[in-house]
Amino acid sequence: MLMSTPRNHANAVKLTMLLAGVVLILMMAFGLVMRAAQGGLFELDPAFFYRLMTAHGAGMVGVAALTGAAVLWYFVSRYVDLIEGVYWAFLGLFLLGVVLILGSIFVGGYGGAWTFLFPLPAISGGAWEASAAVAFILGYISIGVGFLLFYLEVGRKIVAAYGGIGRALAWPLAFGGAQPDDAPPPTIVAAMATTVFNTIGIVVGATVLVSSLVNLLVPGFAVDALLAKNMIYFFGHVFINASIYMAVIAVYEIVPEYTGKPWKTTRPFALAWTAILLFVMAVYPHHLLQDTVMPAWALVMGQIVSYLSGIPLLVVTAFALCVYLRGSNIRWDLASALLVLGVAGWSVGSAPAIIDGMISVNKLMHNTQWVPGHFHIYLILGEVAMAFGFMAWLVKDARASEFTGIDRLGLGIYLLGGTGFTLMFLISGALSVPRRWAVHAEEWFLQDRIATGFGALVVLGALIFVALYAKGLSARRES
Amino acid sequence: MMWRVTIAALIVFACIAFRHVLERDPVTHILVQLPLLILSGALLVPPNTVLAYSWSKGGYALLIIAVTGIAFWMLPRSIDSALSSDLVEVAKFVSLPLFIGVPLKLGWASAHPILRGFLKAEALSMLGVMAFLYTHAPVRICNSYLVSDQERLGYGFLIVIFFVSLLWVTPLFAPRNAFRNSSARTSSVPA
Amino acid sequence: MKAFFASIAAAVFGATFLWNATDGLSALTTESARRIAVVRDNPYVPDVRLETMSGEMERLGVDRKRTVVAEFIYTSCPTICRTGGSYFARLRNQIVAEGLADQVRLISISFDPETDRRAELTQYGNIHDADGAIWTVARARATDLPRLLEAFGVVVISDGFGGFEHNTAMHIVSPDGRLRSVVDFDDVAGALREARKTLQ
Repeated sequence: MLMSTPRNHANAVKLTMLLAGVVLILMMAFGLVMRAAQGGLFELDPAFFYRLMTAHGAGMVGVAALTGAAVLWYFVSRYVDLIEGVYWAFLGLFLLGVVLILGSIFVGGYGGAWTFLFPLPAISGGAWEASAAVAFILGYISIGVGFLLFYLEVGRKIVAAYGGIGRALAWPLAFGGAQPDDAPPPTIVAAMATTVFNTIGIVVGATVLVSSLVNLLVPGFAVDALLAKNMIYFFGHVFINASIYMAVIAVYEIVPEYTGKPWKTTRPFALAWTAILLFVMAVYPHHLLQDTVMPAWALVMGQIVSYLSGIPLLVVTAFALCVYLRGSNIRWDLASALLVLGVAGWSVGSAPAIIDGMISVNKLMHNTQWVPGHFHIYLILGEVAMAFGFMAWLVKDARASEFTGIDRLGLGIYLLGGTGFTLMFLISGALSVPRRWAVHAEEWFLQDRIATGFGALVVLGALIFVALYAKGLSARRES
Repeated sequence: MMWRVTIAALIVFACIAFRHVLERDPVTHILVQLPLLILSGALLVPPNTVLAYSWSKGGYALLIIAVTGIAFWMLPRSIDSALSSDLVEVAKFVSLPLFIGVPLKLGWASAHPILRGFLKAEALSMLGVMAFLYTHAPVRICNSYLVSDQERLGYGFLIVIFFVSLLWVTPLFAPRNAFRNSSARTSSVPA
Repeated sequence: MKAFFASIAAAVFGATFLWNATDGLSALTTESARRIAVVRDNPYVPDVRLETMSGEMERLGVDRKRTVVAEFIYTSCPTICRTGGSYFARLRNQIVAEGLADQVRLISISFDPETDRRAELTQYGNIHDADGAIWTVARARATDLPRLLEAFGVVVISDGFGGFEHNTAMHIVSPDGRLRSVVDFDDVAGALREARKTLQ
């Protein structure tokens, strides 16, 4: 028996995905402008470049988290009764945060990157006033409060319905003798795990955000830079990873519709999600491998957990997906293709991530374009592909045929563009082209320009996906 | 009712009687005396008292009052003033029970579970901010206390965070009356 | 609806209260509050007599010809007074360089008169190259100390090892004996800027 999402929740999620689609295109366009400017195709004031970079970073992290949360809400509401008002409060606070962040960047001139590392927001060398940094941080706090409310509602309902965090994570199956049939469905396990680690991430994030705010208002309260960096990367790593771990719920729920085989909570699945819960929080020091003042054990832990993090992902989700697909006569359409692409891209993206997570490699590679290479694979070919797949699936029944020409065209363009674009980052990284530089040396122009071409394809593909989604939505309204 | 008022009075009395001992060290001042005073106020409210007034619905107004009071007593300058001014010291003994303890207990009783969860999460974050600032501030935060004391206080906040989060998180692993209740659906199997 | 308005009222009250309690979110500590109050109120400093390292009695307060930049120290201080002294030396050099030598007076005031006698004051002066012309080292009389420290907002507490902890800053007193501003102990440029303001 297929449970359907209550209509009110479904409508809220559909609106969210439309907003998210528009924001995604805008953020991709920002990225395209930056790559083109790096390639010397036109002049861009470096100060403006860094504002674009800040908006692109914060915006992509935010919209990835937003789409992940929408997927989670859509499917979790099939299992427990969620309060609709909480979702609207979440969305409202999110949008308020977006307004504050955009205002701080494009009105206030804030360009201190999405990571707001101390002391950059406070000491801008005159590029922006402290008030702009305050607005940026208040925007984050607003979004954080929204997510906190979201997870509190999801968490408390799952805890109440499934008998506690441990049972919701299928611990009786993982560590006891319980039968798979008694375990909660994969959606609940994934939702519980992300709720736990992202709530912890948000609490830590709020701590460092408020500390930074105090420092901006009263500069005498200097913040310890290293501790702040640790907390920011803990929060940032957990938050961006949560977005993809939430989005993968769409794979668990939607792919079975195509294969006819239900996605079940098995013992390896339960163990993997508990491992993910721990690894996501323990791995963050791999962002600080260049901070030589960090204790050695933390860096070694970061490297080891980096290696381990790939295992639950690859074994459980990617491998399981292959098993599900194998021998099943899956019907391919835009939704199923994008969801499978999302898992594939996510798996492929973990390879350069693990390479960069090695201390010896990181010392050479971390400030090159290798790193944006890896996280752009995660996003363009991973999380965002899943989000587009979810969008395509939401309007599937409004569309006539299964896998139309325009679907195939969009998918082809997006896949080609995404692959080429991210590959150019990796190649540039391997050639030691630095990341985060507004102005590039002429020797790097060729890669930048090729990347710009591929980037334009990504934007075009995304435009097609979002247009198809909007068309599907309006077709449903008319019917 | 009587015994609760008696205990509350005893706590306040003890906090006043031993104030020199407690206030000599910021750790006992801030992490023992202040919470005890809040507790004494909370004791004045009988358990499960839900105010029936329409203005107090949801507990928002009461909790905002309590949070304002807590925010004020989180300011280092308030702590300094309590030590240097008798007036502020008296205000401390009055305001912590009456303007924090009482409204906190009353508001909490009628607060929605999400509001409670939100306040708990924010409390942990704010304790974290205090721990962060007190352990790492390059300046003296309280004129009345030594820098080494202020650092100990910061670690005191960390210890409080540890135990408070343990207290709040543990029940989530074994909620009462919640095992597989009606709203749980287990199947996601397509037909 | 009533609950909504009550919450708004509580929030407005709370925000106003905290705004006032922190001087508009700008002063969370006693030290920063004191600096704001000094700039706003320009309080008169007590007209006490200080005993300098050369044995003269020097008045602090009214009827001076020069602006005074004062700092509070104790000469056996192993930490912050020493660095404070080196910043004072830099300030003195700046004053000489800008030709303000006969307009600005620097005084390091000891709040530990029992230990700091003339010999100790002189030795402290020698270490930092304070010769008494622009910059002198002095001690307050024990009986004057409480009101002096009170006026300057300096809190001195025992560190438990025979020394003291105290808030350190540079205090700018205009020739008419009023405290004009307080700047960080290492803010040489700020002290010079504030001192110049009192001369115009």
